[in-house]
Amino acid sequence: MSLEIELILLMPVAGALASLLSPGRIAALATSAASALALLFAAAACAGPLLDGPAIEYGPWYADGLSAVFLLLTCIVCLASSVYSYGYISEDRREGAVGHRDERRYYVMLNLFSAAMMAVCVVGSMGIMWIAIEVTTLISAFLVGFYKREADVEASWKYLMICSVGITLGLMGIVLMYASSAHILGESPDALEWPVLYGAAAGLDPTLMKMAFAFVIIGFGTKMGLVPMHTWLPDAHSQSPTPVSAMLSAALLNCALYAILRFLMITEIAVPGFASTILICFGALSLAAAGAFILISRDFKRMLAYSSIEHMGIIAIGFGIGSPLAVFGALIHVMAHSLTKPLMFFSAGNVIQGYGTRNMDEIRGLRKSMPFTAFMAAAGAAALGGMPPFSVFVGEATVIWGAVDSGMHALAAAMAVLLVLVFAGLTRSVLGMMRGDPGREVREPGGASRASAMAALLAATLALGLFMPDWLGDALRSIAEWFSGGAR
Amino acid sequence: MDPALAGNLIDLCAVAMLLLSMLAMTTTRMGQLLNAFAAQSLFLAALAFVVGDVTGHSRIWTIGAITLAVKVVLIPRFLKYTSDRIHVGRDIDSTMGIPGSLLISAVLIIVAYIVAEPLVATLETITRNCLAMSMSVILIGLFMMVTRRKAMTEAIGLLMMENGLFLGVMSLSYGMPLVVELGIFFDVLMAAVIIGIFAQRISKTFDSIDTSVLRRLRE
Repeated sequence: MSLEIELILLMPVAGALASLLSPGRIAALATSAASALALLFAAAACAGPLLDGPAIEYGPWYADGLSAVFLLLTCIVCLASSVYSYGYISEDRREGAVGHRDERRYYVMLNLFSAAMMAVCVVGSMGIMWIAIEVTTLISAFLVGFYKREADVEASWKYLMICSVGITLGLMGIVLMYASSAHILGESPDALEWPVLYGAAAGLDPTLMKMAFAFVIIGFGTKMGLVPMHTWLPDAHSQSPTPVSAMLSAALLNCALYAILRFLMITEIAVPGFASTILICFGALSLAAAGAFILISRDFKRMLAYSSIEHMGIIAIGFGIGSPLAVFGALIHVMAHSLTKPLMFFSAGNVIQGYGTRNMDEIRGLRKSMPFTAFMAAAGAAALGGMPPFSVFVGEATVIWGAVDSGMHALAAAMAVLLVLVFAGLTRSVLGMMRGDPGREVREPGGASRASAMAALLAATLALGLFMPDWLGDALRSIAEWFSGGAR
Repeated sequence: MDPALAGNLIDLCAVAMLLLSMLAMTTTRMGQLLNAFAAQSLFLAALAFVVGDVTGHSRIWTIGAITLAVKVVLIPRFLKYTSDRIHVGRDIDSTMGIPGSLLISAVLIIVAYIVAEPLVATLETITRNCLAMSMSVILIGLFMMVTRRKAMTEAIGLLMMENGLFLGVMSLSYGMPLVVELGIFFDVLMAAVIIGIFAQRISKTFDSIDTSVLRRLRE
C-alpha cells in the first residue's frame, strides 16, 4: 500500500507538533520546512494524475488532475505564507503586539490550517470533504481573531457564525445528494465517494439533485465568498494577520470552490444546465458587487478582500459556462489568482506594518520610504488588475473568450466593462499611495524571508502568463475537456 | 416493534422537536433555552432508537447513543458552564417581539412544507414525513440566529439548526455512512467548544455578550 497522500498531510501535522514543542524562532523555521516538504511530496504524488496518468485512489483518498491542481496551489500558498510569516510575526514581536506564547500558538494553528486545506483536496468522500472544510473554519477562526483586539473578535465571531451556518446548509445538500443515490447505490458506505457518485450520476434522482445543488451553492458559496453570502469575507480578510489573509484568500476560497466543482460535475450529468446557470448568476453578481466595493473601499486589505470576491466571481462564471475553453481559462485564473493575491497581501502587510494604518488615504510617499515594497505593490496591482503579460490577464481573457465562443455576448461584454472598472479602481488606489511625501520617518520592514516570498510569487505569476510550459497547458486542457463532459 | 406504532412514535418525536424549536423562540432565559435544546436533542436520540429498532441497522443505534452523549449531555453542560462564567443576563435579547417571532416561525413552517412536498414523494423511508419538520427546525434555527443578539443564543440557534439537519438525515436516508456521521459529531462538538471560547472572548473584550456591540467593521 502506498503512502504518498499520507506523507503530504503528515508534514504540516509534524510541523504543528514541532511548533508546539519549540521556541518561536524555531517554530517559524519548522513551519516553513514542513510546508516546503509538503509541496515537494505533493509535487511527486501529483505528477502522475496531472500528466494524464491514472488517478490516485486508495483508502479514503482520491486525487485526479483537478485535485492535483488545487492541492499544488494550496501547498504553494501555504509555503509562501509560512516563509513570509517568519519576518512578519517576528516584527510583531519586536513591536510587542504578540507575546512569546502567542507566536508559538500562531505557528501551531497555521500548520493545522494548512493540513486541513490540503486534506480537502485529496479526500474521496464528499462527507469527509465536508468535515475537512468545517475543520478549516474552526481552526482559522483562531487565526482571524489572533490579535484579540475588539475588531478582531468581531471579525472572527462573524466568520465563525456565518460560515458555520453556511456549512450546515451545505451538509443538507450532501445529505440530499446521498438520498438521491439511494435507489441505485443503496445504503452502501461507498455511496458518498466521489468517483462512485460520478459513475452513477446519470441515474441520480433529478428532483433531489436540484435541491441538493441549491443547498450546496448556498452553503459552500458562503465559504467561497459569493455575493450575497460574502459578508464575513472582507472583515475576516482585513482583520487577520497578513499571512493568514493571504491563505484565506488564495487557498481557503479555492477549497470551497473545489467542493462546489465536484458537485457541479455530478449535477451537470444528472440535471444538465441547471447547476451551471446558477453558478453563472452568482458569479456575475459577485463580480458586479465586488467591483463596486473595490472602487469605494479605502482600507487596503478590505479592497484586496473585495478583489478576491471579484476573482471568485470570474472563476465561477468560467466553470459555469462549462465549455472546454472557458474551463481552461477558469483553471488558469484559479492558478493566477492564487499566485498573485498573496503577493498583494504581502505588500499590504509591509505597508501596514510600516505605516501603522490600513487607510489608503493616510499612506503617502511609498516610493520614497519603501522602494522594494512599492515596486512589488505596483507590479502586484498591475498583475491583479489583469494587465498583460501577467497570468491574471491570460485567465480573464480566456474566460471572456470562452463566453463569446459559447454565444454569451452580453455576459462577455459586461465582464469586460467591469474588469476595466476594477483595474481602474485598483491601480488608482495603489498608485495613489506611491506619490507624495511620507510625512514621517517610515522604515521598510526588512528581512530576506519576506522579500524572497514576494519575489518568488511575482516571478511565478509573470512566468505563468508569459511562458506557460507545454506540459502544464496540456494537463489543464485535458482537465477542461474532461470537466466539460469528454472522456479523460 | 409494530410498524404502525413505530410510525406514530417517529412522528411524535419529530413534532416534539418542532414544538421545542417554537418554545425556544418564546423564551429569553438562558437556562430555559439550554433545556429546550437538550430536550430537542433527547427527542432526536429517541427517534434514532426507534428507527434503529424498526430497520435493524445497528449503526443508527450508535448514532442515537452518540447524540445522547454529545448533544444531550456534553454540549448543554459546557454551554451552561460558559454562560455561568460570563453572566448572561435575563433581559430580552431579541430584536423582535415574541408574538412577531412566532408568527414568522409559523410562516417558515408553511414554507418548509411547500419546499419538502415534492421531495417527500420521491422517498421510501418510513421517516419521510419528518422531512418537512426537519426543514422547519432548520429555518427556525436560522431565524433565531438572525434575530437574537446574544452570542450564546446565536450559538443555540446554530445547534438547533444542526438538530434539524440530523432529523433531515434520518428522514432522507436513515443516516449517512458511520465514518462520516462520527466526523460530523466530532465537528459539532468542536464547534460548540470553540463558539463557547469565542463567546467568553467577546465578553472579556467588550464587557458584554450582546453581539450588537459588534458593529465596527463596515465600509
